[in-house]
Amino acid sequence: MTNMITSACDTCPAHTQMAQMGLKIDNFDRVVALAGNPNTGKSTVFNALTGLKQHTGNWPGKTVTRAEGGYEFQSVKYKLVDLPGTYSLLSASQDEEVARNFILFGQPDCTIVVTDATALERNLNLALQVMEITDKVVIAVNLMDEARRKGLEVDTRSLARDLGVPAIPIVARTSEGMQTLLQTVADVIEGNILTSPLRMEGNDQYQAAVRTLAAQIEHLYPAIPNARWLAIRLLDGDDRVQQAILSGEVAELVSGQQRAEAQFSKQMAVAGRQ
Amino acid sequence: MDHLFPIIFWSSAVLLLLLLIFFPRRGMLARFKEYRQARQREQLEDTLKYLFGGQQSGHTLSAAELAASLQQPVARTVDLLKRMETQQLIENQEGNYRLTHSGEKSALHVVRAHRLWERYLADEALMPLENVHSMAHRREHGMTVAQVNALDAALGHPLQDPHGDPIPNASGNFRPHDQGSPLPQWQEGKIVKIVHLEDEPPLAFAQILAAGLQVGQVMRVMESNATRLVLTDGQDEFTLAPQVAANVFVSERSETAIVDEDVIPLGELADNQKAEIVRLDDQCMGFTRRRFLDLGFTPGTEIFPELQNSFGDPRAYRLRGTLIALRKEQAAQILVRPQLYQ
Amino acid sequence: MTIPSITAQDILDQAESLRPQLKEGFRDEIVKSLYSEAARISGRAVHQVGNTKWDFDQKIDRLVTSPWTGLPIMLLLLAGVFWVTIVFANIPSQMIATALFWIEDQAANLFTSIGAPWWLTGFIWHGVYRGLAWVIAVMLPPMAIFFPIFTILEDLGYLPRVAFNLDWLFKRAGAHGKQALSMAMGFGCNAAGVISTRVIDSPRERLIAILTNNFVPCNGRFPTLIMLATVFVAASFSPTVSSFIAAGAVLAVVLIGVFFTLLMSWILSRTVLKGEASAFTLELPPYRKPNFSRILYTSLIDRTIFVLWRAIKTAAPAGALIWILANININGVSLAREIANFLNPFGLLLGLDGVIMLAYIIAIPANEIVVPTMMMVYSGVGMMTEITGFGEIRALLIDGNGWTMLTAINLMLFSLLHNPCGTTIWTIYKETKSTKWTVLSVVITLGTAFLVTFITASIARLLGWV
Repeated sequence: MTNMITSACDTCPAHTQMAQMGLKIDNFDRVVALAGNPNTGKSTVFNALTGLKQHTGNWPGKTVTRAEGGYEFQSVKYKLVDLPGTYSLLSASQDEEVARNFILFGQPDCTIVVTDATALERNLNLALQVMEITDKVVIAVNLMDEARRKGLEVDTRSLARDLGVPAIPIVARTSEGMQTLLQTVADVIEGNILTSPLRMEGNDQYQAAVRTLAAQIEHLYPAIPNARWLAIRLLDGDDRVQQAILSGEVAELVSGQQRAEAQFSKQMAVAGRQ
Repeated sequence: MDHLFPIIFWSSAVLLLLLLIFFPRRGMLARFKEYRQARQREQLEDTLKYLFGGQQSGHTLSAAELAASLQQPVARTVDLLKRMETQQLIENQEGNYRLTHSGEKSALHVVRAHRLWERYLADEALMPLENVHSMAHRREHGMTVAQVNALDAALGHPLQDPHGDPIPNASGNFRPHDQGSPLPQWQEGKIVKIVHLEDEPPLAFAQILAAGLQVGQVMRVMESNATRLVLTDGQDEFTLAPQVAANVFVSERSETAIVDEDVIPLGELADNQKAEIVRLDDQCMGFTRRRFLDLGFTPGTEIFPELQNSFGDPRAYRLRGTLIALRKEQAAQILVRPQLYQ
Repeated sequence: MTIPSITAQDILDQAESLRPQLKEGFRDEIVKSLYSEAARISGRAVHQVGNTKWDFDQKIDRLVTSPWTGLPIMLLLLAGVFWVTIVFANIPSQMIATALFWIEDQAANLFTSIGAPWWLTGFIWHGVYRGLAWVIAVMLPPMAIFFPIFTILEDLGYLPRVAFNLDWLFKRAGAHGKQALSMAMGFGCNAAGVISTRVIDSPRERLIAILTNNFVPCNGRFPTLIMLATVFVAASFSPTVSSFIAAGAVLAVVLIGVFFTLLMSWILSRTVLKGEASAFTLELPPYRKPNFSRILYTSLIDRTIFVLWRAIKTAAPAGALIWILANININGVSLAREIANFLNPFGLLLGLDGVIMLAYIIAIPANEIVVPTMMMVYSGVGMMTEITGFGEIRALLIDGNGWTMLTAINLMLFSLLHNPCGTTIWTIYKETKSTKWTVLSVVITLGTAFLVTFITASIARLLGWV
């Protein structure tokens, strides 16, 4: 394992603050999830941060289960969870379930949505859906070099302003922008950066229905962080969310984050093997 | 020695035969018992369904009527009905039968299973609509509530079966829906939406399908008289005999324009011809529809066929900056309007 | 003030009752507004400043998927990969073999000189060690060349294009186009190929892909094919063209494998796995510049060493077993020879022989050690130890053990078609969670192998070629 750290750090520009911890994720302080469309270089980001060597084949559906690794930044230990690449969180195919369930029930301290700078429109669709579930989101605009090669200029400040969450340009392959990304993730978790994610508005009828349901959910589970999203999912008839509400699993979203995470990891490990 | 051989042969043959018949669970007798139980269950469930159907339209059924529907002798039907009475699923009211409260619940379960199966067979297994009913009829039996719920969730909680009939939800309620009225009642010039296609009798249903009508289509009534009925969707004309048209239920639509005339299926778009997605076909439901939407096949999106391989199928389409390959069958479900200026 | 208490069920009921009030196509509306919002935001953030090289990817795509050039380029690429592997693996293979067998001799002599009992020397050096030496010499060089090239193609993004080019064939066979992706992964390792079938959503089409994945020769079986193609098929040609002939022969075997994949998929989708094609959508991702250090790591450490280590773990006990079988004598005949003789009639029926059958049985845990096992049985039984190159292999097989061209061709076919290795069988069981499908995966492959080799052997004999 030691040779990984030295060899991978050839590419870190300022490795004083950061250490890759590979599979050493026994005691971590924070959990960060990596979400994104297929083929946006999520696995490359994961490898660059953890020093692990997840294979990065270029074909859709390569990462079917999630991978976990660790890194240390400014002496805080982070566990990084690489979720399967998906276009959406609505279809409930196997990989979408894994990703969606982790972001909702796994309660990561922050979710990084890795996007492809050359196909931002498609990628933002997923980012908006993640932002419906959680406030703690950082957008990593990856493949900036590819975008430059294709003559595209991406204004991440405009992006951040419109989305209401930080957007950081990176090139995961060369680790460009990684320090800024990690700093931003830390700031979002510590509350130094306050996010106000853009939420979709529907027609009045829809808004009213969502409000009614969300109020009831909040009444049943006070202080729940994402009642609105749960309400939308219930209106859409999402089976998994219905079960979670019936079984009271939703209550764990409020209390005992670490415990819920540990328990969920176990569940997901079982689900992942299926 | 010679006389021993036939004895050994015959006794082992008899032994084998006995085993074949009486072997626990695998033997013919056990299989037959299993079959008979399944068959009885099917008939019970069918009886519930017929009684439920009758009650929906406001009448109860007699043993003779039920026997005719089940296609079996009256005597056996009476036995069945007696059993159901002891199970408190039905009650006898002066020779006619009606469902008890628990009978109604069981009936709703069967109806729900049947309609969900129809939805599954039509959407996911892409089965032709005329076969859907009989296939669903075979599959609907012996399902647990959990299995039906799982099917419902997998299909994305559909509201209607492919004929336009409402699917009851898990608590047994029908979602309110537009039942429409028979097509011959509508005047010429009206714009209507098809909300239901009656699948009995099969012959009329086959004619409706042969004419190319589908639930969800929006049409203008062009001609309506005692000899024939003509509809148009803006492109094609559909002609029906009045007695067939009586099995098509429609409701009013306020739109003045029906369907744009320059809309074609994506599969028919010429190579490298730019187009705009207008909508997904109404018949494209369930997982396929969700997948299309998630991939960004939403109305208003610009799309064009960029790559074609040696076999001409599939083609890869450029859409929102990505290349996505679709087979002909999928491309036929996406309706686009070609952009004439390039 | 008391608030009426709400239960979870109430909330669900409320959702049920609210749902029908929403417009039909509620989901459509959500997704549509998400996408239009995404389009609006990205439209503001992204600007096209030049048009440099934008067309480059598209030009390549037009070339590698075009109706005219798509399939030929694919075949040429495949043949090219095989050719490079064959040409560059040959000499290192011989060098490794020479070195490792020299060590065997020296070590055995040393053992004898210090007075170790003959059985200890034999067991360790002529048994366990020789098994390892064979595996490393035969497998390491081809894998160390094939895997990096394959990984480059994978990281570039070429595999989805292959799936795109071939999808029509899979559609006709009632299978899913992404099966081509899992087949491509199968070139590396069939167990990995079986796992990668998870990209197929439809359970029916996924099962077809799992059951037929073994018809793609994995890297463990490539060395067998390469050796046979070099030693037999190409040997009679002049040295300048022989490597091309060998590559062509390997390509032909792979295409036969593709043919059987399609045929078996067709049969399955019309019998036990009947059903209609599911919706097919395949994303063709943009090409990406591969990261070479990562590729070397993935191909050499994750793949080559992984497969080699697995082979070594089975080769050592196999070597020991063969040595024991070859050195236990009953009535003056070794047990190995006894078993081989017993299997011989069946082997001959398939155009093979008893030793090959014995080697296949010993090699069930890992197919890649078939050739090494076979060579050990031949050499162990015939007491011939000095094999340092393909020339000697040829001599040993043809002159010493009566091999013909039919034996070589049928061994290639048998190796292509026969049952999956132990690891793959276990993976199939884990993925399908069904004994039935696992057994079927073995039955259809083994059945095909027996049938095809029996037919070719019978035809060859009828026509008097052998």
